[in-house]
Amino acid sequence: MVDVAVVGAGQTKYGNHALGLKGMWAEAAQRAFESVDGDFSPSAIDEAFIGSLAFGGAQLGNTAALLTEHSAMDGIPVRRVENACASSGFAFRDAWMAIKSGQADVVVAGGIEKMNDLTAERRRYWLGVSGDTEWERLAGLTFPGTYALMARRYFHEFEASHDDLVHVSVKNHHHGSMNPLAHIQKEVDFEKAAGGFMVADPLTLYDCCPTSDGASCVVLAADHVAKQLTDTPVWVRGSGAASDYLALHDRPSITQLKATQQAASRAYGMAGLTARDIDLAEVHDCFTIAEVLATEDLGFAGRGEGGLFAREGRGRLNQGDVTVNASGGLKSKGHPLGATGTGQVVEVFKQLRHQVEAARQVNDVEHALTHNVGGSGATCAVHVFGRERA
Amino acid sequence: MSGVVWMGYLLDDQPGFTLVQSPFVHEGRRVFGADSDATTLAVAAVLHRLQHDDVESVSVPEGIDASTVNDATGVMIHENEDSTAEWDLLLSDEATVVLAREGAEVELSTMDVEIEVDGAFHEAITNAWQQELAMHHVSQGAYVSQAQYQEAARSRLMLEGQSGSSGPVWPPRFSVSRKDTAPTSERMTRTGTVQTWTTLSAAGAPSEFALRAPVLGGVSTVLLRLDNGPNGVFLVVDDEEFEPSMDAPMELVVRRIYAQEGFIRYGLKARPMHV
Repeated sequence: MVDVAVVGAGQTKYGNHALGLKGMWAEAAQRAFESVDGDFSPSAIDEAFIGSLAFGGAQLGNTAALLTEHSAMDGIPVRRVENACASSGFAFRDAWMAIKSGQADVVVAGGIEKMNDLTAERRRYWLGVSGDTEWERLAGLTFPGTYALMARRYFHEFEASHDDLVHVSVKNHHHGSMNPLAHIQKEVDFEKAAGGFMVADPLTLYDCCPTSDGASCVVLAADHVAKQLTDTPVWVRGSGAASDYLALHDRPSITQLKATQQAASRAYGMAGLTARDIDLAEVHDCFTIAEVLATEDLGFAGRGEGGLFAREGRGRLNQGDVTVNASGGLKSKGHPLGATGTGQVVEVFKQLRHQVEAARQVNDVEHALTHNVGGSGATCAVHVFGRERA
Repeated sequence: MSGVVWMGYLLDDQPGFTLVQSPFVHEGRRVFGADSDATTLAVAAVLHRLQHDDVESVSVPEGIDASTVNDATGVMIHENEDSTAEWDLLLSDEATVVLAREGAEVELSTMDVEIEVDGAFHEAITNAWQQELAMHHVSQGAYVSQAQYQEAARSRLMLEGQSGSSGPVWPPRFSVSRKDTAPTSERMTRTGTVQTWTTLSAAGAPSEFALRAPVLGGVSTVLLRLDNGPNGVFLVVDDEEFEPSMDAPMELVVRRIYAQEGFIRYGLKARPMHV
């Protein structure tokens, strides 16, 4: 069966963007196309999958077709992929499957979200629509509240405290301070992060990702095409995805994400790798507790030891076996919902090709992973990448 | 009698009638708590009476939401003082509801318990509800349509669930199954223990609570394990001050959740047991 590689990847800076949907997408696509080493034309693209929740930007219908007409991809089959914050993680998986199936040779996966063109009230509306709305919203929950419930339960079940979450925040701000594409490019010390404004007890402002605008775009190619376009493709070694109950109260445990565990198991199995082989993990830290859970669910820490993993700084750049969120993660790089999944791939693509700023380059990186979660864990896509084909 | 608390309200239970009254007073008059109204008091009255009496049908006057009383208690409703009902719900203008057997003589007793509410708070929360209830008010909150709300009203208000292979299931779910394996209806307990909880700041609260959250100082949510198994998330009542704690026993009572398009969504909220 055909192997699939990423041959190009680009994104906008994340943040409060002056551009609208069309401008942001065009910028991300341009950067992705320019990153392809060989002679590449968008006319070679067979299909496109674009993830978005359609939060802002005022284009709910036919979003993908509107965007691709602004990136020289007129006429190709396109569609919007929606799985909340995991939209473009699944768009990437769909693109990979399109090539795997033999129906396409070159496919674009991307994502976009415009979040800062709405009033504060309308933003809060959108930040809680991806849970089981009928039950969770009527119980007063937005996602800060949902993850706060998970955090307090985690502290109750294991030897962990809010201090562990503060370590996650400090680390990701440190990594993000070196990333020129990050929304928040500044260090935060422990005292400041520990004393932030309480958003949803026990989560403070420094436990929550910012509200970001942004777009990301990657170009995938079948092996025989990839060889013609670059000498350094980034191979998609494994793809795994899963779903779970939307509502926390329907899950047997709220201190682990079953969808992450299943998606990771499938991706590792396909790649023939384990967590111990991963040098860099871009994980979905929409809230700091989410990174703690992810380090366990992805196999970097034992059950109940994610807090300790954070406390000991084992995810810091080049400090442990695996660097977690070298980009700054959602916490610092930002979280333009639909763009996040393929934005993680952009980071991995550059890291594996040693194309990031020297100060934040992961040493000797051979294998990397992306972990993209929708809602509070209802959907999850995990991808494993390598410099070598297999 | 005085001061018996039932579902957060004062109670006087007599052979011919059950009286439920708000414990709150303002400027010498009984007033509703922050998320209570005549409908929530009426539900409490019927549920108490059902503990020791057969209440098959009740007439419901204007001012009490008949549909909610039916969904929360299961009793048959006759709207607008239908003479064939066995019981009548009577509404006083002082935050008091009486459920009286047809023809029974009702003598209102004096309740000693009076909790004085802060005047500014009372005015602010009353105004917020009035704004929220206005038909022209467009909520920026998550849209739970009337159809979707009513489809699950029995589950939401009476904890109606279903049997499952490894215990009761709530909220119930639609399933595609053979007819002979279809689940049977099962009622959940109204009590449970706190598995986890949070308080969202007013700035972080869902936008459907945007008018009231600043007045209340945020909104609190608990995830309860109901005594017969399933978990559920519930708002904490607005009219009692307390902070939830892990493993604390709680009971579920009917209160207002929010209003949209002039229509109040009621639901179960959690309050501490034995208070």
